[in-house]
Amino acid sequence: MTWTVLLSGGLIAIVAGLDRTALLQIMLSRPLVAGSLLGWLLGVPESGLLIGALCELLWLARMPVGAAIPPDDTQVAVGATCLTVLLNPAGGFAPEPVALFALLLAMPLGKVGQGFDRLARNCNSRLLRRAERAVADGREERIERLHLRGVLHFAGAALATFVVVVAGGMLIGMPLLPRAVPLLQPLTGELELLFPLVGAAVILATLHVSRALTLFSTSFVTVLLTIWLL
Amino acid sequence: MKNARGQINALLVGRCALRSFLLQASWNFESLQGLGALYVLAPALRCLYQGEERKQAFQRHLGYFNSHPYLGTAILGSAIALEADAAAGNPQDGVSASDFNGMMMAPFAAMGDALFWGGIRPLAAVLALFFAVRGSLLACVVLLMVYNLPHLFFRFWGFFRGWQRGVEIVATIQRWHLPDLAIRIKEAVVILLGGLCAMWVSMMLHDKGLPPAVGFVALPVVGFCCWLARKGVSPLTMIYLGTFLALAVRGLK
Amino acid sequence: MSVVLARIDNRLIHGQVLEAWVPHTQADCIVVASDKVAGEPLRRAVMTASVPKNIKLVIGGLTELAELVRQGVFSARRVLLLFETSADALQGHRLGLPFDRLNLGNMHAGAGKLRCSCTISLDDDDIVNLRCLEEEQGVQIVSQCIPADRERPWRKLVQTGA
Repeated sequence: MTWTVLLSGGLIAIVAGLDRTALLQIMLSRPLVAGSLLGWLLGVPESGLLIGALCELLWLARMPVGAAIPPDDTQVAVGATCLTVLLNPAGGFAPEPVALFALLLAMPLGKVGQGFDRLARNCNSRLLRRAERAVADGREERIERLHLRGVLHFAGAALATFVVVVAGGMLIGMPLLPRAVPLLQPLTGELELLFPLVGAAVILATLHVSRALTLFSTSFVTVLLTIWLL
Repeated sequence: MKNARGQINALLVGRCALRSFLLQASWNFESLQGLGALYVLAPALRCLYQGEERKQAFQRHLGYFNSHPYLGTAILGSAIALEADAAAGNPQDGVSASDFNGMMMAPFAAMGDALFWGGIRPLAAVLALFFAVRGSLLACVVLLMVYNLPHLFFRFWGFFRGWQRGVEIVATIQRWHLPDLAIRIKEAVVILLGGLCAMWVSMMLHDKGLPPAVGFVALPVVGFCCWLARKGVSPLTMIYLGTFLALAVRGLK
Repeated sequence: MSVVLARIDNRLIHGQVLEAWVPHTQADCIVVASDKVAGEPLRRAVMTASVPKNIKLVIGGLTELAELVRQGVFSARRVLLLFETSADALQGHRLGLPFDRLNLGNMHAGAGKLRCSCTISLDDDDIVNLRCLEEEQGVQIVSQCIPADRERPWRKLVQTGA
């Protein structure tokens, strides 16, 4: 049971992790998609979807522009989804507070992702050196293989981040779980709201739109009033 | 050696375009997507050049390259056209493929970053969250569809258009006014985000049996977090602060 | 005229500038100061196409821009000033482009350059130019790729690179 969870988690961690930079970039790496996909595979679609949805907005405004490496929200969502199953294997606790707890554990641990990502990119410099030598020696047919080897580095970085999130989460989470879940349980509604509100605020602060807050407030009030009146 | 552009058929260009999905596989801090760009162009360069010329062509393109992963394909498509013209002995206006790459990559990156990272990605995410809030897994389908239709269009259309038009791609891209389109999309995102938050808030209040009027409290919270974000406070810190605050208030009660 | 950010960035206008710095500094005008770029029509055309209409873009040679500043063309603007190289920044400051803080964004690696951080590589000329800007011209120089990154004094970079 534990091994299937770790195996499917690792698989999604690599596939979604590669989608961040190295391969495709079709947004399998978005927390909403990666979290839901893994949740569905592990038989906890609600938890995966919840974690993905809560994570989705937080770092959306951090863009992979130029050489900037954004925080690894993919592995946060994938790792947290894995943790919900591993921390609560018998389903003894209610799923929502466990998902919140897993997410709170995974978020700071996911910070290591940027470091591993930078390491992978530094390793790729060696591939560039070797490609330069190959071309200079007239062996240009080798560049494809050298270029594609970078995929392995990125996959390694994704897997390493996933392992840190899951192992660290288990180590810290296991002893805290019986105390934390009853504390979080009565607050699930409020905390589930905190994530999108903070996410929205960060997006409004970084998006280049004039009078973003005014536009946001107008729309918020209109929709809330409509729901209220109906 | 007359019409070298003719040697490169659409099938070959298609192969190069497909390779663009792996453009960033060897991303590094020295040449960024440099080796990736060569990887994408390699089938075309092999078709155009033999022997020593081929070696020189590969060396020319093994430099620094960094653009947007989708819009940048238009530059690579144009580079194939320029190389083909050069190989046929009639280079265009003295612009070599590598000079052209050098001039185009940053502005194309700016347009792609604004349009995709700044506009379409948040749009897809916010639209998908409307479904996610209701607990529907359709959310993933919505996100992938809304994002990837324009993504795939620009990736392939850009590559083929660049190949057909060469340097003229600049005029085409000017006509599209992509930065202004990006701003329109961002405005839509802000409006949708307001609606999404309102919906999320009212659903939570409904579950807790509280009146919807309480929901207006969310506005100053967003405003305050926005101010914190501008001061450089990370979302992680805000979430933790918020959680502890909620726990403390609960404890006092 | 207020220069809200002066920056050396060999990529000039790109995502980091438009998506991160422009919203952060609320600049409404981007000035590209480079004799080289001013003489390349194709590059000017595509750069103009990459900036949205609500931001004014001025691309010009260093002397030309210094003259425009003197005429007060930018008086009501929040200007984001971009240089391609350290030499341009030094000459620009000597000619009277008004900035007292300089941000090092991207200075790309090349042969014979000292790699100081992921995005900054300096050669001996760069170091002489920056030192001159700091000591003679009194400009405070820091390196910061995007607003979310930490600001680092440039001298620390040179020490770590050396």
